[in-house]
Amino acid sequence: MSKSFGFDTLGLHAGYTPDDRHGSRAVPIHQTTSYMFNDTEHAAALYNLEVGGHLYTRISNPTIGVLENRMAALEEGVAAVAVATGMSAVFLSILALTSQGDHIVASSQMYGGNINLLEHTMSRFGVTTSFVDPTDHDAIAAAIKPNTKMVFGEVIGNPGLDVMDVSAVAKVAHAAGVPLVIDATLNTPYLMKPLKHGANIVIHSLTKWIGGHGIAMGGVIVDGGNFDWGQNDRFPTLTQPHFAFQGVNLWEEFGPAAFAMRVRSEGMYNIGPTLSPTNAFHILQGIETLGMRMDRHMANTAELVAFLKNHDGVAWVNHPSLPDHSCHDVAMRQMPKGAGSIVTMGIKGGRMASQAFIESVELASHLANVGDARTLVIHPGSTTHSHISADAMKAAGLTDDLIRISVGLEDINDIKADFNRAIKIAQKKTSAKGS
Amino acid sequence: MQISINDADVFVSTGGRVADEHAPVLLFLHGSGQTHLSWLLQARFFANRGWSVMAPDFPGHGLSGGAPLTAIETMADWCHTLIMAAGHKKVTVIGHSQGGLVAMELARRHPEYVAGIGLISLALAIPVNPQLISMAEDNEPAAFDAMVTWGHGHDGAFHDHPMPGNSHIFMGKRIMASNPEGTLAVDLKACAAYADGEQAAASITQPAMVILAGDDSMTPCKQGEALAAAIPHAELVKIEHAGHMLPIERGDDVNRALRRLFEQTGA
Ligand SMILES: Cc1ncc(COP(=O)(O)O)c(C=O)c1O
Repeated sequence: MSKSFGFDTLGLHAGYTPDDRHGSRAVPIHQTTSYMFNDTEHAAALYNLEVGGHLYTRISNPTIGVLENRMAALEEGVAAVAVATGMSAVFLSILALTSQGDHIVASSQMYGGNINLLEHTMSRFGVTTSFVDPTDHDAIAAAIKPNTKMVFGEVIGNPGLDVMDVSAVAKVAHAAGVPLVIDATLNTPYLMKPLKHGANIVIHSLTKWIGGHGIAMGGVIVDGGNFDWGQNDRFPTLTQPHFAFQGVNLWEEFGPAAFAMRVRSEGMYNIGPTLSPTNAFHILQGIETLGMRMDRHMANTAELVAFLKNHDGVAWVNHPSLPDHSCHDVAMRQMPKGAGSIVTMGIKGGRMASQAFIESVELASHLANVGDARTLVIHPGSTTHSHISADAMKAAGLTDDLIRISVGLEDINDIKADFNRAIKIAQKKTSAKGS
Repeated sequence: MQISINDADVFVSTGGRVADEHAPVLLFLHGSGQTHLSWLLQARFFANRGWSVMAPDFPGHGLSGGAPLTAIETMADWCHTLIMAAGHKKVTVIGHSQGGLVAMELARRHPEYVAGIGLISLALAIPVNPQLISMAEDNEPAAFDAMVTWGHGHDGAFHDHPMPGNSHIFMGKRIMASNPEGTLAVDLKACAAYADGEQAAASITQPAMVILAGDDSMTPCKQGEALAAAIPHAELVKIEHAGHMLPIERGDDVNRALRRLFEQTGA
């Protein structure tokens, strides 16, 4: 068996071999907190990172392990750690690299939760962030300081939909001796694998397209293994003796997987945002059809964008596939299969009309999520991004009439009919009527 | 541990432990285009069980400086220098693939320093396909891909790693890519040029073990069996459903076998 498999095959098989005892074809749910040790020597070896295996579910679990291996395989990373949510994946990544007094350069156009974590939570612990426009590479270079530990951004900004040129930003970060960490939730490894474009760490909220069903929270951190942590003395958490495991030097003993080992050996040991094994199982069910679902998401998105673009009642539509989108060329080059299934638009009549639209859809669901199998709509200005400052809103590309659509897998004609109806109602209800 | 050999800085993994000076010494030698990280599941395991582990990065590999050595014989002499520089008089040497050729040659040239020998995924010779050598010269990443893909059995191909969350395939590629450009081709040529396997094998009088992978498509099992037969007292261990990168694909099985060898060598 000396083969390398394609995306859909890995999505179905990676990380799991049916066990000899039961031969279970589907990945079993190991709903257990702990594992029997063979003897005291085996226990000690597990506690000391000498052998593979599981000792306590906060640290690792066989079902979660399959999910981790599968995500590493799909992203082409050396190792992955799955966690309870996308937010905890972001937090543990920051925790693995930064300490008090350190600094992060981050995209100003990110999911509100990411911005809040950096701006309000990390700053209380002495880790500060400079937010910069991810398409302004000079600004990124200028923002990197001697205490900067990472450049952080999203491929497709949520909900501004600007697209980062990952290889260009990676070059800027690497020239300064700093890794590029990417939240790739909106693109999934099916549309783009940021590690292949020079990013070093990839984070996902598995809650979204990767699960796809909207039934389970989850997050993952994938270590690209493609950053030389020993090139400078910026990364003592990886290149100096660990506080535990007899002072292991992770860079020397685990090499390309040093970062993932730090996440597990500190983040999971000392913080413990553990994914439930049952949720890992649910997310694995989603991954099995990720490729096929993304194709359908992209086909529906293309049709819906064309429909909205030509609709009288729509003031504007934004999607990176549109030729007039400021990041169109980068998007097409990086994501030839499609630039994600988030579309934003404004209804003629401004904020009131947009809110009326959201209240009038019947098939689409008004809720705070993206990447569900069902079509979702929301008004970020009054919800997901309402906690961020007016300046940050502006930087994130948010106007007050902006509706965010997460295009689902329904029959496209039904989505179009629902939107058509709601747009008409919205216009009747507002002063835009007849305009 | 950092040590200077022939004016170059050499990195030697000790499995994360500073060993007792009387502890028996294990010298682990990595294969072509690899680093000490081939021994991820051996170095820490044995270092934490009372052995003194030395898993060096050969010159021009991993965290070691210098230029890659061009002949198996030179590598064997380099190991001898390393053993002396570390202040040891006898080691049990364990080699994977190319590292196995070096181990045999070390035992032939400096038998008084070798207490025992463990050879993993090895044959009497490694007649590297000339196409692979030109690939390593012209398009190194393609050669890494080919070797890592051929180098793993079922578990590797399915990313089913003993350490939760790890991928053998991508870890394997990253380890190879971490070496300076051109290193792999130098190694492969050194393997291809080495023709003294028969004599080296026949000269081994120390306790010896040959550990083979059932699905090894780089150094096929049959040829490994011929190697075991050519060594006067070698124990042959065959691990089924595994590929060439046996130490990482089947760490537990390999460690169990090696431990038996170390008990014989008094190491
Ligand atoms: C881009 C992005 N990153 C991170 C998150 C946070 O993920 P979770 O809700 O799983 O914690 C989200 C969730 O909306 C997101 O859209």
